[in-house]
Amino acid sequence: MTAPGGSGTLAEEDSQTPLVTHSVLPSLSRRSFLGRLLPALGALLGLGLLARSPGVFAAPARNEPSRRPGRTDDDEPSEAVKEVLRGLFGDRPIRTGHVQLDMPESPPDGRLVPVFIESDLPMKPGNHVKAIHLLVDKNPDIHVAAFEITPAIGLASIDTRIKMRATSHVRAIVETSRGEVWWATKKVFPATNGCG
Amino acid sequence: MSARLEARPEIGDGRILLPDSIERGSLVHVRTLVSHPMHTGLFNTPEGEPIAAHFVDEVVIRYGEETIARFRWTSGISRDPFVTFPIRADREAPLHITWKDNLGGVFEASAEVRFS
Repeated sequence: MTAPGGSGTLAEEDSQTPLVTHSVLPSLSRRSFLGRLLPALGALLGLGLLARSPGVFAAPARNEPSRRPGRTDDDEPSEAVKEVLRGLFGDRPIRTGHVQLDMPESPPDGRLVPVFIESDLPMKPGNHVKAIHLLVDKNPDIHVAAFEITPAIGLASIDTRIKMRATSHVRAIVETSRGEVWWATKKVFPATNGCG
Repeated sequence: MSARLEARPEIGDGRILLPDSIERGSLVHVRTLVSHPMHTGLFNTPEGEPIAAHFVDEVVIRYGEETIARFRWTSGISRDPFVTFPIRADREAPLHITWKDNLGGVFEASAEVRFS
């Protein structure tokens, strides 16, 4: 599994909160240092500041939002993904909702990752889902598939299996005949590289 | 359901699975499968030779005379692509699927939608 990539910054930061750095804690003999350090740590933990201090704990903890399967706190798409989205939808807004994307969070085999997509948007002539797009941010081909459908399909629902190269966001994007674009995103942690 | 007898029968054996009894007007889930390596072109053989990209890139689904869906794929779809989707079974007609791959292969399968 790959380590969380990118900036390493934490989401939803309160920029007014001062960060704790080493310089705040005076250098003393070990006993008195611990005597001061532990209550200080306790106070800081209580305030929630210590957990947000990259200077003291540099490596992301295992429980950090970006590493928990299924969480999408760092789901700001990369430039490459944004370019694919621009090519598909121009500058139309992509809204969250109306799309259900179900996948195992930790598939053991990156060559065979199940995907279940369903949308409750109507399938009437004149107002229907016209395409379901599947994007995998870290795959060699980001735009893995496009399923173009008509009202005869009855319900915008696709189940299939895909390959994944690495831990990545997977995005199911539904486009309607009226030009609306809705999506759902899930972060998936495949155990192996299925793409080569 | 039919399998074209090609020189390489292990590629392109397409299947369509429909429920045994279908009610007129109901939503029917169709399961489809085609045997295909879906090579990405990014792997090598154990001897180090590149394996060329070979994958289904277009699927056309027809219900009677009407084309009801068209899928465009990359090699990111898994080997032996298995896809399930619904249809509104409003008439008795053949459901026909054509899988085309990037090297010119064309594979087909049909199943009859019949009401019970």
